[in-house]
Amino acid sequence: MKRRAVMWLLIAFAALASSAPLSAERQPAATEQELFLASSAAFTACTVEIPMRDGNHLAADVYVPKSGDKFPVVLAQEVLALRGATVHTAAGPPIANATIIVRQGKIAEVGQNLSVPAGAKIYDVTGKIIVPGMMDNHSHIGASPTDLNDTPMVIGPQHRAIDALNLDDPDWREAIKGGVTTVVTGPGSGENVSGQAIVIKTFGSDLQKRILNERGGMKFAMGAKSRERYPSTAMGVAAALRSYLIKTQEYMASWKKWEDEGKKGPPPARDLGYEAMAEVLTNKSRVRAHVHSATDVMTLLRLKDEFGFDLELHHSTEAYKLADEIAKRKVSAVVLPLGPRIGLSEDVMAGPYILWKAGVRIAMHTDHPVINQKWLRLCAALAMHYGLPEEEALKSVTINPAIIARVSDRVGSLEPGKDADFVVMNGPWYEPKTRIEMVFGNGALLYDRSTEDK
Amino acid sequence: MMRPIRLISLACALAVIAVSLAVPMAAQSERVIAIKGGTVLTMAGAPIQNGTVLMRGGKIIVVGANVQVPAGAEIVDATGKYVMPGLIDAMTSIGIDSTDLNEATDPLTPQLRAIESYNPFGNFGEGGIGPIRMSESFSGGVTTMYIAPADSALIGGQGAVVKVAGPNLDAIIVREPAAIDMTLGEQPKKAARSRNRDPATRMAEVAMLRQILIKAQEYERARKEKPTTPRDLAMEALGKLLRRELPGRIQANSAGDIRSAIALSKEFGFDLIIDGAAAAYEHRDELAARRIPVVLGQITHPFVSNDEIPDRTEYPPVDERTPAKLKAAGVKFAIATFSRAFGRLAPGGTGKWLLVDAATAGGYGMSDEDILKAVTINAAEILGVSDRIGSLAPGKDADVIVLDGPPLSIKTWVERVYINGELVHTRKAK
Repeated sequence: MKRRAVMWLLIAFAALASSAPLSAERQPAATEQELFLASSAAFTACTVEIPMRDGNHLAADVYVPKSGDKFPVVLAQEVLALRGATVHTAAGPPIANATIIVRQGKIAEVGQNLSVPAGAKIYDVTGKIIVPGMMDNHSHIGASPTDLNDTPMVIGPQHRAIDALNLDDPDWREAIKGGVTTVVTGPGSGENVSGQAIVIKTFGSDLQKRILNERGGMKFAMGAKSRERYPSTAMGVAAALRSYLIKTQEYMASWKKWEDEGKKGPPPARDLGYEAMAEVLTNKSRVRAHVHSATDVMTLLRLKDEFGFDLELHHSTEAYKLADEIAKRKVSAVVLPLGPRIGLSEDVMAGPYILWKAGVRIAMHTDHPVINQKWLRLCAALAMHYGLPEEEALKSVTINPAIIARVSDRVGSLEPGKDADFVVMNGPWYEPKTRIEMVFGNGALLYDRSTEDK
Repeated sequence: MMRPIRLISLACALAVIAVSLAVPMAAQSERVIAIKGGTVLTMAGAPIQNGTVLMRGGKIIVVGANVQVPAGAEIVDATGKYVMPGLIDAMTSIGIDSTDLNEATDPLTPQLRAIESYNPFGNFGEGGIGPIRMSESFSGGVTTMYIAPADSALIGGQGAVVKVAGPNLDAIIVREPAAIDMTLGEQPKKAARSRNRDPATRMAEVAMLRQILIKAQEYERARKEKPTTPRDLAMEALGKLLRRELPGRIQANSAGDIRSAIALSKEFGFDLIIDGAAAAYEHRDELAARRIPVVLGQITHPFVSNDEIPDRTEYPPVDERTPAKLKAAGVKFAIATFSRAFGRLAPGGTGKWLLVDAATAGGYGMSDEDILKAVTINAAEILGVSDRIGSLAPGKDADVIVLDGPPLSIKTWVERVYINGELVHTRKAK
């Protein structure tokens, strides 16, 4: 109860902060929730003492759930400078002895021999390695296992991950400790279409601000999910998906017809499922397809050819067998299913390398909780073990998942203007022995290893 | 009637037998193999730079820096490489088909022996995706493993310590039976719930274990007083536990389950090994004082259940600091993969990433050698087989691996695996 009270205070405080003139470009329209919070802000401001100098506004609301943990609640400094580390920007070659300047939660500059602005808080990180905050393109973090699949429904595009999100899940905190600052979390894979994922930061108190993209993709899952009902074969799944996509086209056509005819008479009946799928067909959203076998990969490519949607393959176990077909269609692949957890043949383990060689954009995934969220970097490291070059492996947990999830304007690389999400490590990022020392999110220190008990 | 696919997989299985298990006895000859020039991590002393390991007749004969290599020896140049004992995965059910793991009809089956379900042939994942062959799992450098008969039975039965390759299924046995396997926590409850029987709670789990152990005490007494008392295989197995001929391995992850395990061992006086042990740091002082060793579940993935989505109430969040905390408190521990069937996707599991998993314990004050001991000599001591394996020393089994870099680096590959002096795996050149 105590924790909840603290959280409410902070949420309310964040709402107060957000009403200050922020430089953040993307001020979402005030939601009902925010309006409610703003109304309680005056009360909160009297009860919480947080020193604020004039002009030192909060660049971001940062609150990490405290469930008996050692996380400090830290408010973003206005200007930070981290000096002396080797910085892997994921947007070019590594920069040795670099300085990162952070202003108002955003990366201001990254490079050598930068002058540090007066008044900046300086971190000496000489000899450390810095990489962008990592991103997992396929996670179920924040979702209760019983809320992942509405299995009575074979095709349920209307279901939204945001309606089942648990912000008190202790795994968010573990994710931060593992340097994972952004995830795509969503439903599945117990239905052939299980609904809409969201792209969300792993930290922050304000749900609306944590979300980078509410259209996180429509989850398809190939393969029969039950032997007791239609579809119970790979053919059946293909036919069911094709049929639903055609019905969506017809639904869209009926609305277009009504609009073209001057909206005379009653509009067509709304259908949440077709509405959601229409976003896929109009490229406002995309398909994230759980797929293992080469046969099902080919089925998906065929459906893409027929309906023209943007496609990501997920798990992609046998995708390497069709690397050229995938590359030709500019389809991306989220790869290395359950890498550290279970045995996969050497061929499958080399799959990410083969796909990359063929020109396919690849990203790693933990499928949390199948592998714990915090070990995302080990998936990339294992791909490196099988031949993927270091910088490409790093991209597969930073900029590539961000591009695939359409949020690369905000996260995924360390470039001026992007969110100041990054990870400070005491050795090569890919070595399992390396420890994460600090994690910054929106320019605030979210995790500091030196404060942990040993 | 075998379907064609069955015939094909049978053929594959036979091929794998030929490759991975057929280590001809005759080949364990008096021929000397000399692995020369590498950094030798013996796990029984300081690393030896530019060292040599001599093997003959399946045993190690010499380990040292200035070793005379006999004429006619087969020389393996390990210059720039690392040489160390074969790894020991101290808890797995690899090689046990999911239909042969857990005698789910009864929660208390001490009479079962894991070795009688063990079948390492063929492709794991047959009919599924991405099958892994047993021989591929060698690429992680594991040469010996413990196989458990169950992971969700209150008392699953008797586990065994086996080599991963050998001339036949009998010759691979290092110790059998090696321990009585037990489980506390969510798993026995889940298994029982589906059959609507006890144990439905943790209280019932402990009460049922106490009751059967009391029964075993009474059986021991009865047999002593009246030797014509009818034999009972289950009671005989538990007798070995009570007489401390075998240790009890109890899978317990939460702090409460670990407390229960310790309490049982105190009450009945058996030697205890805690498996999984996610919350072992909560009891580290008592574990150290009572010399109770721990076999830690995967650090990168501590969820050792068969469930795809693990139970949050069972396992505390991952904590890579645990090994260092146990080390500092003086608790002996091994790190194991707990590999076992995982649904249709990978019925075999793998111990392939044991080194990667162990490496994640680094950076909290433990040396590389401390970490490597958790997958070699410490594991051997906990399993009671350190007279034969776990370190490179004269007279021990010639289970040796050669790596092309530091063992705890992700870039490193295991290049050669010797079991009983026989080369059973070499890294295929890509």
